[in-house]
Amino acid sequence: MLKLIKFFGNNNAYLLLLLYCGIAWMLIRFEKSDPVNNLQARSTELRAAFSQSLSDLGHYFSLKEENEKLALQNSSLLGQIIHKNNMLRDSADIKHLDEFVENRPVRLISARVVDRRFDTRENILIINAGRNQGIKKDMAVLTPDGLVGRVVLVSDNFAKVMPVIHSEFGVSVFSDSNNTHGVLRWNGKEEQTAQMHYVPVSSPILTGETVHTTDFSTFAFRGITVGQIVEITPNKQFYRINVRLGVNFSTLSHVLVAEKTTDPEKVEIIKDNPAEGENSPQESNP
Amino acid sequence: MLKNTIVVILLIAVLCAVQHYSVSHLAVFGVYPDIVTIYIALAAIRHGQKQGTSYGFIAGIATGLLSGNIGLEALTKTIEGFVAGYFHIPEDSHASSRQKRQMYYKGVFLASLFGRALHTLMANVLSLPVTLHVAFSIGVGTLLTMIVAVIAYQVFLKKIL
Repeated sequence: MLKLIKFFGNNNAYLLLLLYCGIAWMLIRFEKSDPVNNLQARSTELRAAFSQSLSDLGHYFSLKEENEKLALQNSSLLGQIIHKNNMLRDSADIKHLDEFVENRPVRLISARVVDRRFDTRENILIINAGRNQGIKKDMAVLTPDGLVGRVVLVSDNFAKVMPVIHSEFGVSVFSDSNNTHGVLRWNGKEEQTAQMHYVPVSSPILTGETVHTTDFSTFAFRGITVGQIVEITPNKQFYRINVRLGVNFSTLSHVLVAEKTTDPEKVEIIKDNPAEGENSPQESNP
Repeated sequence: MLKNTIVVILLIAVLCAVQHYSVSHLAVFGVYPDIVTIYIALAAIRHGQKQGTSYGFIAGIATGLLSGNIGLEALTKTIEGFVAGYFHIPEDSHASSRQKRQMYYKGVFLASLFGRALHTLMANVLSLPVTLHVAFSIGVGTLLTMIVAVIAYQVFLKKIL
């Protein structure tokens, strides 16, 4: 007995090893048994919970990078959406213009508004068609909704347009139902409203009538819609007439440029004797 | 003594977690260094064979709980602690730092070698032909563990041995 105790005392590391190896062997042997399985299931659960926490922590630290990536992706998608929307809008506009052009005997050149400068009085549009595309100074610019303005400056590929809502713009117009003539100008106040001048109070003009350009104009051919009369106020000799413009300048994107084939002889006469030209004192010619 | 044991057990738990969640991701062809083995060997060298064997068993259980292979891990780590215990340096030893270093390297090397050999023989996880697998897993595994052991010694274990 004493020898056995002495043996254990001297060799307790071996005994410990045997004990531990025995337990380990039992764990291996009974790996599929319920208690070991339960233990392993619990340890798996614990491990999974810990892994999830670690993963969440890692995810938290990578949030900034992920956000940047998402922001980049968003901006790219936004760019694509804008591009596609523009294409859709452009195609709708172009289709609309095409239908309009087909029904017009006048030669029309389509163009896109590439720049605009709007302030209280000096509004200007730039279109992406110029001399190379057949644009000339004093051509009328219009859309199916109505008159936009006139070309005042032309470069090779661009043209500057003075819109109806410009303080120096003027055009001869007439009302459709009773042919009352006047001159349309813009007073620099409301963007959508211009004024029709020189309409005597004796004229049978009514609100709701549509106003078109006349043949007297030096740049616009007869019949381009300009707008609709919305308010008529009698003054001493003439009416004060407000016309709501057909074109919405804030959403203007595509336009048509129309060439008026004015008889040179007529132009010559107007130039020689402006007093006799019906539109000369009324229309500006910048 | 009790305080030391608690500290060692806590350290083992932390190292097991580090081993499982980070070091095991540094695998080279499926084999990775084992910092738990290094620590068991260090504990056995410092505290003796009995403690080394016990710490090995505890570390094996902890590693097994994380890896899902409790029996095998307990067995291999127990063997590792026992083997490293042969290189125990008593506290009152007058061994030079060179001798201590040699004991440490030998302890880690043999512990790792035995542990790897036993583990590889009992779990052919790579499904390679057995001879190639044994040579590969034991050789590369021990080599990687030794590299980490050398780095650990040079960086901070030198001061505590």
